[in-house]
Amino acid sequence: MFLRLLKKDLLVEFRSREVSASMLTFGLAVIMIFSFSINISPDLFRRFAPGLYWIMVLFIAVLGLHRMFSHEKEFDTFSMIISAPVERGLIFLAKWVSGVLFLTVAEILITLPFLLFLQVGIPEQWVILIVIILLGNIGIMAIGSLVSGLAMRAKMSEVLLPILLFPLVSPQIIATVQATTAVFDGKPLASWQLWLNLMITFALVFGLAGYLFFEHITEE
Amino acid sequence: MFVTRFNNRLRTGIIIMILLMIINLVNILFNSPLVPIQQWAQKIFYYHVPCAWVAFLSFFIVLIAGIMFLKTKNYKYDRLGLAAAELGTFFTVLVLITGPIWASAIWGKAWTWEPRLTTTFVLFLIYSGYFMLREFGGAPERVARYAAILGIIAFIDVPIIFISVRFWSPEVQSHPQVEMALQPTGIMTTFFFSLFTFTMLYFLMLWIRTGILSLKVKNQ
Repeated sequence: MFLRLLKKDLLVEFRSREVSASMLTFGLAVIMIFSFSINISPDLFRRFAPGLYWIMVLFIAVLGLHRMFSHEKEFDTFSMIISAPVERGLIFLAKWVSGVLFLTVAEILITLPFLLFLQVGIPEQWVILIVIILLGNIGIMAIGSLVSGLAMRAKMSEVLLPILLFPLVSPQIIATVQATTAVFDGKPLASWQLWLNLMITFALVFGLAGYLFFEHITEE
Repeated sequence: MFVTRFNNRLRTGIIIMILLMIINLVNILFNSPLVPIQQWAQKIFYYHVPCAWVAFLSFFIVLIAGIMFLKTKNYKYDRLGLAAAELGTFFTVLVLITGPIWASAIWGKAWTWEPRLTTTFVLFLIYSGYFMLREFGGAPERVARYAAILGIIAFIDVPIIFISVRFWSPEVQSHPQVEMALQPTGIMTTFFFSLFTFTMLYFLMLWIRTGILSLKVKNQ
């Protein structure tokens, strides 16, 4: 059942390309604004790069989440899903996984321009960097899907989503930025193990919370 | 019937509270020793710390009320949650005002991104979002559920935020509250009396607020 829900989310996206296209173009626009507004030497910029990268990811995640859920709202497909005998937690899991996939796809296309256009350069430990980015995505999308479920049917949901999400996601942002900085500086795992643990904890806690609470969110 | 009974008890409650607050103030000003170095600046702690304690207690009540509401669907708990969230935010604002007053006298600057300060600030942001969700969430029945869920998530997030901020900036000055045990003994009695007074004030306010909220429902 979970796979069917996931397939549905992916198929909708594959046909419209609404979420990933909007995330991608928005991300590129953000990169352009970064390069215009921060006019400093590349060496100095490298130190800000992890923070800026995650600001960009958070922005495109909000955009993507909003598109994902407003799609459901516009066509009222959400009430159809919940009228089916599906375990509500699975709806959350499908949204979570598809959200992580969309965000990752957008990042695959954005990360390289970010590193090259802003002259950051590719760090030596790029494999570890990919793992951190994936973990970051998983955490952001866990709390993001949960909060989107809350904000989706509200008036001004596009404003409400970031207002609710940003403070709640703050520990995840701290952890991912710290871990990314450590990898950029080529530090050993032991020095940022803590942030790795924090990211995993965050993803687990809010993944579980979403799975449990989605039943109450979708209740009619 | 309810209104008159409410009024009588309310009057007694408020009179007792005013007396307690006056005694507390006199106690703080004249009946507690001046702490070396900090002198008069330290006096604000008799207000600051009880406010913080009451705010966190309040958010804990939001959590309990949220769980109870999701379990029982009794709107009594929804009103309790709303009242506690309002009071919690109110006292958080007081904490955020009294803190910098003390800090600018002792640290020489009004704000640092110290764990406790940051966590309090993030909590304030989360609960600002909470009221926006209440305001714009749509149907009252749905809003009650969503607010309950947000209250629970917010409380789960607090320890994670605290831990992440603590390791994020380990070098900043520790909060002075830890050293309170080392201070002259005379201050503890005054401090606990203030703590007691504020807790009583909080429960009186909570009682009045839930009373008003249930009256509103009855008049509709």
